Amino acid sequence: MFWLGQQASECEWRARAVIGLFRSARNANTPEVRGLRLLRSWLSPTQLAQFDAKGHFDVVGGESGKKYRIKFGICANVLELSEDGTPKVGWCVVPDCCLVAGDVMLAQKIALEAFEGVALAKANKFGAPAR
Amino acid sequence: MATQIVMDLNGDSRHQFDPQDAEALAKAERRFKELTGAGFIAAARTATGDSRLMRSFDPTAKETLFFPRLVGG
Repeated sequence: MFWLGQQASECEWRARAVIGLFRSARNANTPEVRGLRLLRSWLSPTQLAQFDAKGHFDVVGGESGKKYRIKFGICANVLELSEDGTPKVGWCVVPDCCLVAGDVMLAQKIALEAFEGVALAKANKFGAPAR
Repeated sequence: MATQIVMDLNGDSRHQFDPQDAEALAKAERRFKELTGAGFIAAARTATGDSRLMRSFDPTAKETLFFPRLVGG
């Protein structure tokens, strides 16, 4: 669990840096900015506000109702949250082609909302407590 | 105008078409079938902002997003 927390804070500062870059280069046409622009246009108003404030956004699993946090990144960036909102376990599921972070995060959001079970069946789990 | 957005190495590629134009609509449907046949996943947004899968071409969809199949990372 410590590792998940540490990873979370590292992702947060990285996300803030990228969002700052996005704001300063809003009109740029690089793949990274295009990816973030597309992601932002598909987030719900609540998710967008959370992403702008914290660099991550929460998604409710379409089948289980579980809550997931998608952090800025291209892998190992999906955390399943426990009822008190703390990270419980991590999931790594990504598109099978090299995409920028905004695109990867959007694909993960859609997967969890629209076909959670299939997506998690393909995902690798990480950060689970040792037994 | 309706738009098909395909995620790629450049972020995305966009294809706009007029759904009232039969030829453009047929081309969009062909693109849908080619992409989903190649393993891309098609999705649209619901009115509430959630996402839904599109298993077949929907000529009324304003925006369709295609992304590559998912794998464990």
